[in-house]
Amino acid sequence: MNQHDAWFMLLAVLAAFAANEVWRVLGAVLSARLDENSALFSWVKMVATALVAGLVAKLVLSPTGGFALAPLWLRLGSVGVGVAVYAAGRRSLALGVGAAEVVLIAGMVMLGR
Amino acid sequence: MRSAPEAGAAGSSGAEAFSPEEPPADESSASSWFWRGARASLSTPGFVLFGSFTGFGAMTHDFGWPVWAAALSTLLIWAAPGQLVLAGALASGAGIAASSLAVTISAVRLLPMVVAILPVLRTPETRFGTRLLAAHYVAVTAWFEGTRRTQAMPRTARMPYFLGLANGLVAGSTIATVAGHAAAANLPAPLSIGLLGLTPVYFLLSLERGAGGIGERVAIVLGLVMAPVVSQMSASFDLLLTGGIGGTAAFLVDRAIRRRQAAS
Repeated sequence: MNQHDAWFMLLAVLAAFAANEVWRVLGAVLSARLDENSALFSWVKMVATALVAGLVAKLVLSPTGGFALAPLWLRLGSVGVGVAVYAAGRRSLALGVGAAEVVLIAGMVMLGR
Repeated sequence: MRSAPEAGAAGSSGAEAFSPEEPPADESSASSWFWRGARASLSTPGFVLFGSFTGFGAMTHDFGWPVWAAALSTLLIWAAPGQLVLAGALASGAGIAASSLAVTISAVRLLPMVVAILPVLRTPETRFGTRLLAAHYVAVTAWFEGTRRTQAMPRTARMPYFLGLANGLVAGSTIATVAGHAAAANLPAPLSIGLLGLTPVYFLLSLERGAGGIGERVAIVLGLVMAPVVSQMSASFDLLLTGGIGGTAAFLVDRAIRRRQAAS
């Protein structure tokens, strides 16, 4: 895989930086003149939300590398417990993430891997 | 993200943004506000963020990134969704152009966040360069905490406080990225897998936490359901397709619900 090539990585990170930063610059340029509650913005937010949610599903269902050592039921179970604790705990990120981590690590310990 | 509409409303008319009834200017200097902000980065949201960057660092180790690339991505890109999208796209074999396209789509949401926070932070004297600098630090945690904490402060304190807070978060996150990258190779298996599992659950929950309405929640569900199916069909453009189709469908659902609410 060409990812190990240092120049390729440097270019990829710099290109991603530019691709990411352009929206911040535009925001600073346009700040007083734009309505952040417009239909265009809400559409854009939903496209970005679906994109990142899709990435989460891929990371959990078909991970590459070390995370794949955890069985599918444990990966899904830990995320499920995290969501449940988050919902029960007044939408606290720390509680939800913490609960998912406890389930995942305890599960791996019990499986003896 | 609940405070966004208020901030936007305050900014839409310049006169109101600098209302006379705000607290009197504080005697403390800009640098003392900067350091107060930097100290505030060591708070619960800060530690949750550092934890997620530890997970990101571990994940980049897993994907074969050198440690400097992981640290540089946190320092420069400073948007965990963008960095995650970059790592995911490169891992599934996308080139620089396709991965940058996916990153830019994940980053469009930064624009309205910048538009919302700048009227809170700036004074009539704030230069364009300073506004650009502040915009660079806008990312979910810095934005949310920055807006929440500065609203009650004297106006001259807000920009230095926000820059201190944001720089504290960037510094901590960069250290966390490096630590996660190093730890992934050296921890016992259950702990390193725990680190790798941190990223997906943190993202899922922070998407929900930041969702402003029913439409974004529908987008979350559609993205989760569609991605595994779409990735069977098109491996390198699956994220773009999932975002485009799922997000548009969620938008249409959101509009339909709003129309029904308006009609009844």
